[in-house]
Amino acid sequence: MNRNQKIKLYMFVFLFASVVLFAFMFPRLTLPFGFAYIIYLMTKPLTLRLTTGSKRQRLGYFLMVLAGTAFLFFPFFATLYNVETDFSGFSVQLSELQRILQDKFFAFKVKVFEKYGMRINIDPVSFIVSKLETHGTDLLSKFPNYLSLLLEWILLVPLFLYFFFMESHRFRRRFLEAIPNPIFEKSYVLFSQFNTKFGEYIIAKFIEATILGSVVTLGLLLIGFPYPFILGFVAGVTNILPYLGPILGVIPGVLIALLSKDPNASMLGMLMVFAIANLVDMILVFPLLVSKIVNLHPIVVIVSIIIGSQLAGVVGMIVIIPFVAFFKLLFKEIYKDLSVHL
Amino acid sequence: MSYEKEMMEKMTKGEAPSERLDIPLLKYLWDASPLSFMTKESYHEFFKKISVLNAFSDNEVRLFTKFLHRREFQTNEVIFKQGDSGYGFYFIFSGSVNVYANQGPQNIDQGELVIKLEKRQYFGEMGLLEEFNRRSATVLAAEPTVLLGIFKPDLEIMLEQYPVLGAKFLRETALIMANRMGQLTREIVGLKKKVKELEQRI
Repeated sequence: MNRNQKIKLYMFVFLFASVVLFAFMFPRLTLPFGFAYIIYLMTKPLTLRLTTGSKRQRLGYFLMVLAGTAFLFFPFFATLYNVETDFSGFSVQLSELQRILQDKFFAFKVKVFEKYGMRINIDPVSFIVSKLETHGTDLLSKFPNYLSLLLEWILLVPLFLYFFFMESHRFRRRFLEAIPNPIFEKSYVLFSQFNTKFGEYIIAKFIEATILGSVVTLGLLLIGFPYPFILGFVAGVTNILPYLGPILGVIPGVLIALLSKDPNASMLGMLMVFAIANLVDMILVFPLLVSKIVNLHPIVVIVSIIIGSQLAGVVGMIVIIPFVAFFKLLFKEIYKDLSVHL
Repeated sequence: MSYEKEMMEKMTKGEAPSERLDIPLLKYLWDASPLSFMTKESYHEFFKKISVLNAFSDNEVRLFTKFLHRREFQTNEVIFKQGDSGYGFYFIFSGSVNVYANQGPQNIDQGELVIKLEKRQYFGEMGLLEEFNRRSATVLAAEPTVLLGIFKPDLEIMLEQYPVLGAKFLRETALIMANRMGQLTREIVGLKKKVKELEQRI
């Protein structure tokens, strides 16, 4: 490699690192940009089918953006009232829940004392409830901020989405032209594979979450369990996180079951519904949709989720998986090349 | 129906070909026109002169060029090395390249010069078709060279967006491979003959 080629390579690496740094420094811009990119990847196959060869491509893209925005944000506003009603009902029941949990914990303390002669002096129930109350108040006080952030997203996401539909081809070409010759072939193929894998993973997780959420909602409706829609929604969303998701998803159901008149019967019914939904997911949905896309060891997945949550919260927990799958692919390629050349 | 046929039909019926001007298409047709005053060879002219792509219509050549990547190389710059993973197929748009094989085990030299490829010749088609391809030779630019490359992801998009064009291109690539195979077979037969003759002499 001569001097000019080396300079070009270093310049490219510097530019790439600067873009990554910029993305971390301005999350208010990066997050809607990333969200728009995810929607773009999800709708790309459909958009290509609808607009290839069409003379009204621009109008087609515009309609796709409108439909995508309506599809994503309308259900949020439509269900906002119901979710809020559910949540306010739940907060009223919080004190009732505190009383039940305290009773149960007191009975447990007595049992331990009778059996082992040990006194338990901690009060975890009051601690958890006070934490929940603090977070609830905090959430309410920050509600206007979240609303303004949502409005910002409603403006920015369609704008970025339209940019992706209209300009991504040109942008992609410019980016590829900037890649230096020695790393071009490999970078281009890896970049394309990452895009395909990322898009497929997001679509697969979205479908998986919808199926699981629907099964939970339907099951809870059939057994007459309270708040079936919100619990189905929570189960679907938490299921996006592999391994930890199903456990997190069942917690609100357990708390609500404790509040019912017959806690044991409703707890059993609710747990059965969650078990059936997770079985459907494990036996049918996951092997057919997700496992082929992300072939990672369970420990790698769990460690990745923890790192993702540290880096970018809930969003990080979701998107870290395809990134790790991509890095696995990248290291495999580098290792293969090194083993040939060394 | 092909684009050309559609246009012809509209013109014979006296209909306007399109409701609005397609600027990129006009620009392309201007560059592709044999009466164009441009001194530089256009992609259209270039591909029209490549014999294996003769079956492509004008519009298909136009669509095909959308999937190409222009890469510029300086003299003696490595295009790819023997043993590298291969993903692309290159056409020499200008300049020339040297192909070296039998690279040393320690990667010290580039091997023996096998062939020099000139303008309008092509190389690396195995990289496009094979699933896990390793380059069988090292290719270096013999002078300042411009290559037009098409890579695996481009072929996938082409097959998805323009299946007829993708199938035609694959057929042409298969023909190139078949020609190379034929050449190799003839060389092997010749070599076997020589080996036999040598064995008889001994």
